Amino acid sequence: MLGEILDDLLISASTGRCITATRHFPARPPVFAPFPPTLDERVVAALRARGIEQLFSHQGRVWELVEQGRHVVVVTPTASGKTLCYNLPALQALLEQPEARILYLFPTKALAQDQLAELEALAKSLPELRMFTYDGDTPQDARRAVRARANLVLTNPDMLHSGILPHHTKWATLFQNLRYVVIDELHAYRGVFGSHLANVLRRLKRICAHYGSTPQFIMASATIANPGELASRITGEAVEEITESGAPTGEKTFVCYNPPVVNPELGIRAPYLGEAAKLAIRLLREEVPTIVFAQSRLSTEVLLTSIKQGVADRATGDSGIVRGYRGGYLPNRRRAVEKELRAGEALGVVSTNALELGVDIGHLDAAVLAGYPGTIASLWQQAGRAGRRTGASAAILVATSAPLDQFMVTHPDYLFGTPPEHARINPDNPFILVNHLKCAAFELPIVEDETFGAVDVRRELAALEDEGLLHRAGPRYHWASETYPADHVSLRTVTTDNFVVIDTTFRDEKQTKKRQIIAEVDWSSAFATIYPKAIYLVESAPYEVQELRFREDEEKVAYVKKVSVDYFTDAISAKGVWILRRLEGRQHGAYLAEQGEVLVAEKVVGFKKIKHGTLENVGSGEVELPQQEKQTTSAWLTVAPETLERVSRSREELIDGLRAVTYLLHHLAPIFLLCDIRDLGSWLGDTTPVESGAVATRESAKRRLMQAERFNPTIYLYDAHAGGIGLAERVFEILPDLLRRGLQTLEACACTFGCPSCVGPVNEVGRRAKATAARLLVALTT
Amino acid sequence: MSTIDDLRRVIRRIEGARPPRPAPEPIERLVDGELHDTGHGSIVRVRREYPLSHRHGAEPLGDALAAPLELLARAARIDAELGAADGLLFLDTETTGLAGGTGTYAFLVGVARVEDARLVVLQYFMRDFDDEPALLTALEPLLARARAVVTFNGGGFDLPLLETRFVLARRRWPSTLPHLDLLRPARRVWTGWLSDCRLSTLESAVLGLAREDDVPGGLIPMLYFDYLRSRRAAPLCRVFEHNRADVLSLVALVGWFGRALADTSGVRPEELAGLGRLWEPCDLERALGCYRAALEAGVPEPVARWARLRLAWWEKRAARWDAACELWEAARQHDLFDPRPWEELAKFHEHRARDLTAARAVVEDALGLARTAGAASRVLEAFAYRLARLDRRLAARRLDVSMT
Repeated sequence: MLGEILDDLLISASTGRCITATRHFPARPPVFAPFPPTLDERVVAALRARGIEQLFSHQGRVWELVEQGRHVVVVTPTASGKTLCYNLPALQALLEQPEARILYLFPTKALAQDQLAELEALAKSLPELRMFTYDGDTPQDARRAVRARANLVLTNPDMLHSGILPHHTKWATLFQNLRYVVIDELHAYRGVFGSHLANVLRRLKRICAHYGSTPQFIMASATIANPGELASRITGEAVEEITESGAPTGEKTFVCYNPPVVNPELGIRAPYLGEAAKLAIRLLREEVPTIVFAQSRLSTEVLLTSIKQGVADRATGDSGIVRGYRGGYLPNRRRAVEKELRAGEALGVVSTNALELGVDIGHLDAAVLAGYPGTIASLWQQAGRAGRRTGASAAILVATSAPLDQFMVTHPDYLFGTPPEHARINPDNPFILVNHLKCAAFELPIVEDETFGAVDVRRELAALEDEGLLHRAGPRYHWASETYPADHVSLRTVTTDNFVVIDTTFRDEKQTKKRQIIAEVDWSSAFATIYPKAIYLVESAPYEVQELRFREDEEKVAYVKKVSVDYFTDAISAKGVWILRRLEGRQHGAYLAEQGEVLVAEKVVGFKKIKHGTLENVGSGEVELPQQEKQTTSAWLTVAPETLERVSRSREELIDGLRAVTYLLHHLAPIFLLCDIRDLGSWLGDTTPVESGAVATRESAKRRLMQAERFNPTIYLYDAHAGGIGLAERVFEILPDLLRRGLQTLEACACTFGCPSCVGPVNEVGRRAKATAARLLVALTT
Repeated sequence: MSTIDDLRRVIRRIEGARPPRPAPEPIERLVDGELHDTGHGSIVRVRREYPLSHRHGAEPLGDALAAPLELLARAARIDAELGAADGLLFLDTETTGLAGGTGTYAFLVGVARVEDARLVVLQYFMRDFDDEPALLTALEPLLARARAVVTFNGGGFDLPLLETRFVLARRRWPSTLPHLDLLRPARRVWTGWLSDCRLSTLESAVLGLAREDDVPGGLIPMLYFDYLRSRRAAPLCRVFEHNRADVLSLVALVGWFGRALADTSGVRPEELAGLGRLWEPCDLERALGCYRAALEAGVPEPVARWARLRLAWWEKRAARWDAACELWEAARQHDLFDPRPWEELAKFHEHRARDLTAARAVVEDALGLARTAGAASRVLEAFAYRLARLDRRLAARRLDVSMT
């Protein structure tokens, strides 16, 4: 069935011309390894009972290296039996040494539950194993029992950070006997999250050393460019990497789909969400189990709405075979969706990258990627969600009109030939490091010449003492505050507060005081998603935000009411970037490149109402919300006045041209940095110092540039994570190449006045922008 | 949160010369204590002796010595034997915070015990964090010699905190030592008519103690941190007094409990009812006796109502329906609407006496009162449901009658 649909897509006149590339990946046979002779008979028997008669080669290799005492990371595709890689040594250790303790870390609670179920099935006949999850869902009265009984604890980094390490005396037996630390889904720990985890593990190793244990790390990762490097930076140990998978794979077809151009002059393509929905509907109508990946929570809901409509207008009118899945849904809703998918009760799911991770959702045959997911690694992760060990599967990438997507679908050799990205972390990010140093001091006094990981932290310790958080007695720094520092550090974002979304639809009628919490939104995205009058979608059901409570002294809540509308809302925000500190500068002929620290201020000022289906703009509104600020690192480029003069005499024309260049550079930079486009931010401003008032207002930059006494427009490309994870430094280095690539892309683009695929849509950048941008880029690259 | 720049500024400042710490004022002299050498460093120790006739508030300390501990242990539901009163170690800590976890320290530990017919209070104080080994060393023999520890909320706070300190220092914590946490029996006795069950509330309401110039507990961590940085010890004197008063209150409370459990004469009616609740799980006859005595003594509302309801519950269990109904009838005659007696009476008439008309009358009155009182919708719905069912059954019965 799947094959026929794919053939149809290729042959049909309407879709055939949209397919820019197709790749077939043939099936791969398995490579086996015998059970290792040292493997405990009871484990062998348990494996045989589950129909496993031999291992795949990578599983055998992990066994060997672990036996030699090495730290290991195994990198293999989905459904390759990676969990057995770490379950085997874990089971063996617990059988050999009843007092041994093992810690499993998963990025989410759901994955821990999944793995517990898998382990329990495997270890049914092994009474020595006492496995429990320990996380925020563990009832208070059960926690003591878990601490006392468990010899294998499944938890997540957040719980380790705030619930286990600060109470390590209650876990003394675990830390005295900790043999293995298993970290699954290692690739999920990139950026801020990974930088945090590396510090949590620094703390873990300190505590282990205190109790006299030195655990061995066994890790598993999806395909990334640098698994060994990432594993080694996260654990601070030398790590062996195993990348050869012995598991078989079925054949797979990968299709690149570029929505048709509907307005050649403006370079406008059919909306990619609509195209993705059409493809998904087609697959689902033929009963092909399909997963659709959207790039944001909002587009998940928008896609879900149209796909539900598309499959429902058939006979029954029932659209329940398609479900939504994203962060923000409450855990039991997500568990229900996972279960329905496993059981085959739901045929399709529309998800954010939340389902990229190995949550067990059974086997799906097709993946529709609505938009390039931002990284090659994510692309393969998402495509890999469809496919089994045998049988055919397909993945279809539907390009948006952004330059990066357009580049990818029109350069299939690049798309299929580029290795997945490096997962970058920066454990020494000063914000992150200092926060964990506080936690470490809380856990165990820090000796003055002690290193944290391998970092010399004497200055940080002295600074913390000066701020009154630490107190030195003899050679040791002690925690000297009433607070519990782990409570103030969230591993996932820079700020900790989550908003709860409360449905008040029925409150007036029944006068019940019961709180109907329908979702959660993290602080960083709250102002852009649940501002007053926003339409907030949950499983494609629209709710209108009545009130947003965000003041410091009140609980963070959005009150919403169910409404019946045919539009959704998209926030409009204003931004400003100001230089705090220059760290490095380099003169390049026509421009000055610099890098350093900046203040980024953002503010949601209004929203657009967009109609479902047609995606046309049907209204707007204003919003009064406070500004959000963060400090981060940035590279910036200031064009020399002579160059500007040569390009144009009109300040307005120059500003439009520079905005076009900014758009282009931001969208192309991920190709060089091998990062996600959302890891970077961009801004056209100037180099006015921050003292003159850092307030983000709509249009302020253009107006300010128009009125500025000294016209020194500056393009900023900054690290989107507070404190920076090292991207800005790279941008600074590659700037000349980036400008050259920008010029090439611009010249190769067939549009007349600029389109989303080069300098941005003409109605946003102006009719002269493309030409001005081209002249600017020529000047900047010569 | 500190910003990168703040941090850098601070670091630059520190990198200049670091001023030497001001010479510490000897706190042991200010608090009239001494330096005590433990073999693991020295520690500030303050020793005070009180004759057993000393009154803490209105309570003579000696009453604790006479307290029938086996009764108290039974009422507080402690499995272990508390032994004789001179084996008790009364204990209270002052800490660097309430957060718990390994970063919270007990910087001042006060204990009291009876020695040679006198009450001796000992306080151990860490002049800095590196005095902790000495503090723990000093506590070890005291804990080892004790038959039991007495605290107020020690189960939830002081003891786990000390255990953490002991484990962290790799010392053995005497986890099997019997523990009498006075908060538990205090809750049973005083919840309901005192605004809360904090030690300070009990002191003024029960022990007749008014603390003068007492330092608020919430300020104590800050005072200690200030001392660590400034070495000015004078403000800490009040913390020592606070801790001493806390420890003495533990002694006085044991005295109160001992007396009240052995002989209820002289106990206030409200407390009588509370004692009933204390006895209920281990000696029902005593419990019912307390409830009845409290009602006879004219205990005021709302205590009277719950005493009646408890009594009625046990009468119902014993199937003494007349007695139960009498109590429910009394309990519902009250200005403040309480659905429970109404509900019980309705159940009795409907299911036990099988008098649907009487049941309906009770429910109808209850519903009316509940509406006027603005009761929760859950309550209203329950009565409305009951009323509807009674109406159905009455109609069915009428139909039966007319058919025959």
